[in-house]
Amino acid sequence: MNDQWTDLLSEYVDGELAAGERSALEAHLATCGDCRATLGDLRRVVARAKSLEDRAPKADLWSGVAERIGAGRVVAIRSRRFSFSVPQLIAASIALVLLSGGGAWLALKPRPTQGSAFGPRTGPRVTLAVSTGRTDAAIADLQDVFERNKSRLDTSTVRVVRQAFATIDRAIAEARTALQADPSNAYLNLHLADTMRRKLELLRRVNAIAAAQS
Amino acid sequence: MSDQVVEDTLPADSIAADAALAASGDASAFERLYRTHSARIHSLVRRMLDADEADDLTQDVFVRAWQKLGTFRGESAFGTWLHRLAVNVVLARRKTLGVERGRFQTGDDPLEGVSGRRETPEMSMDFEEALAKLPDGARQVFVLHDVEGYRHEEIARMLGVVPGTSKSQLHHARMALRRHLDR
Amino acid sequence: MLTTFAAAVLVSLAPLQGETDTTIAVPAGASLSVNNFGGSIVVHAWTQNRVKVHAEHGSRGAIEASLVGNTVTLRASSRHGAPSVVDFDITVPQDMALTLSGTYTEIEVDGVRGAITAETVDGSIDVRGGSGIITLHSIQGSVTLADATGRIEVNSVNESVELSNVSGQIKAETTNGDMTLMGIKSSSVDASTINGDVEYEGTVSDGGTYSFNSHNGDITVSIPEGANVTLSVATANGDIDPSFPLPLTRTEGKHRYTFKLGSGSARMEVESFQGDIQLRRPSEMRLQHKDKDKDKNHEEN
Repeated sequence: MNDQWTDLLSEYVDGELAAGERSALEAHLATCGDCRATLGDLRRVVARAKSLEDRAPKADLWSGVAERIGAGRVVAIRSRRFSFSVPQLIAASIALVLLSGGGAWLALKPRPTQGSAFGPRTGPRVTLAVSTGRTDAAIADLQDVFERNKSRLDTSTVRVVRQAFATIDRAIAEARTALQADPSNAYLNLHLADTMRRKLELLRRVNAIAAAQS
Repeated sequence: MSDQVVEDTLPADSIAADAALAASGDASAFERLYRTHSARIHSLVRRMLDADEADDLTQDVFVRAWQKLGTFRGESAFGTWLHRLAVNVVLARRKTLGVERGRFQTGDDPLEGVSGRRETPEMSMDFEEALAKLPDGARQVFVLHDVEGYRHEEIARMLGVVPGTSKSQLHHARMALRRHLDR
Repeated sequence: MLTTFAAAVLVSLAPLQGETDTTIAVPAGASLSVNNFGGSIVVHAWTQNRVKVHAEHGSRGAIEASLVGNTVTLRASSRHGAPSVVDFDITVPQDMALTLSGTYTEIEVDGVRGAITAETVDGSIDVRGGSGIITLHSIQGSVTLADATGRIEVNSVNESVELSNVSGQIKAETTNGDMTLMGIKSSSVDASTINGDVEYEGTVSDGGTYSFNSHNGDITVSIPEGANVTLSVATANGDIDPSFPLPLTRTEGKHRYTFKLGSGSARMEVESFQGDIQLRRPSEMRLQHKDKDKDKNHEEN
């Protein structure tokens, strides 16, 4: 009944009616109180929409955001220590060097392939080799390459990658600190080696992506 | 007591300065941007989707903004850029929720079942509550058009419908909401 | 519009209205390669021997399609130099092998049964289905894989990785995100993260090798009743928390402990530098995971 006219009212409010339709509608409005009332309502709805106020979230969401963007994440370090004291060195594909200063440096060999990773542990078998931190040097080289090529990557990708580097660097630092207190500990040595390998792999991968960007 | 600062009252260049700082990794600058804009973004997300998702999605928006700050070139105001990013996050969320395109109702009263006769003013649902109860399609068109100021062509593209559908959904939403104007 | 291509025909499709629809007949055993700098790539499957492409690229963008030998190649291109954003929606024969790549690209695959390689820098990857060699890499984007089988390698850097109902040989890695593996059937699993939790619910098969690692996160592993496994567990600063009796057979220095269950046939390494290690039965894990899921407001399937 009224519908053919009412249906045009929103477009009329928004000024979207063609000239012909507009004059026809205006002629109708002059004679139709209901339509005028509806028109007024619609205008009030639009005004109400424009005046809606923004409401802050009830919870403070910043800490969730901060954690996800890696801002100031504090990791609670548990201080419980196990008291077993018999050190054993485990044969793995890692050569350990004990420096006189008490730290441990590692020369990385490729990670054992699955299947041989858990070969029979027949007791302490350590290969000592002289190393001057070849892994650190490899990482430093790849880092140089990254710095030189990073302009090929988008700045947000670079930032993301740096966040990942920072995460791994923190892990490396924590592993090193633990190792200082217990330099011959097999797990800590392996863990440090693994974490450094992760950094190497990430650097390689990112450099490959940068190189592939034209 | 909120520590919100209304964007209008902050000099535009302090927001721009914070955006530049945040883009280079300054998290406290980004926190200031968060404080300034979170109410607006949260309200947008809440109105487009629902209250349950709004908190999570607001965080998603800001995390994404942090990630994408490198691409913000400063040609528009930071608030505008952030706002557009929020709309994109909301629309992407719609897709993940499997909202079918064209799930738009064409019944006479989208708020059927909810009392709202003009003649009985004792119904007390306010405007925002009524908005939340609209069917998804009508509500999202209304929020994008009347609250946020997008045009029908843009809305149609964003929601995957034709402009005609956007216009008719807007009309339905307005007609349903007129009974819930606060007195 | 059904178009049959002869070999090595390159066609640029860019109708002015900003979207392109085309269908390409393909030989059996064909594969698909899509390169889209920014936007999305969505792939579904059907039983026809055709590839149906719907692309939305705006008035400045275009797509190029070609069929060379057995490979359909789709590329996003643009007419004015700067890459434009393209959204691809592609339907392919079920068994088609897929190679999908992009930079600012979200990738979604559903229902295919062939091999899948998907790589993006800034975008999430969501795959349901797939068999054979499956390689999913993102840097800034979460990666999820469900209902797949084969040789599986899944990587993110800054987001989480989630595998569900996956079988085969699995290697999964991320740096800043959680690693969640549920409903796994495998005798070779290697899952690690630096800054995130690890969850594994799946088989522990005789003779299998399993490795779960984190630096900063908790690791929860399900050990089925009756499993035969030698468990090497290590944590520098966390607790080891089994919900069932765990006979200690060896300690190796501080931090690492070996437990043997049954014949000890499978080898499992569970290591977290700073997090706790929880060992549970599968039923307990499924309950625990369901609660976590409800909180995350995350929709599965």
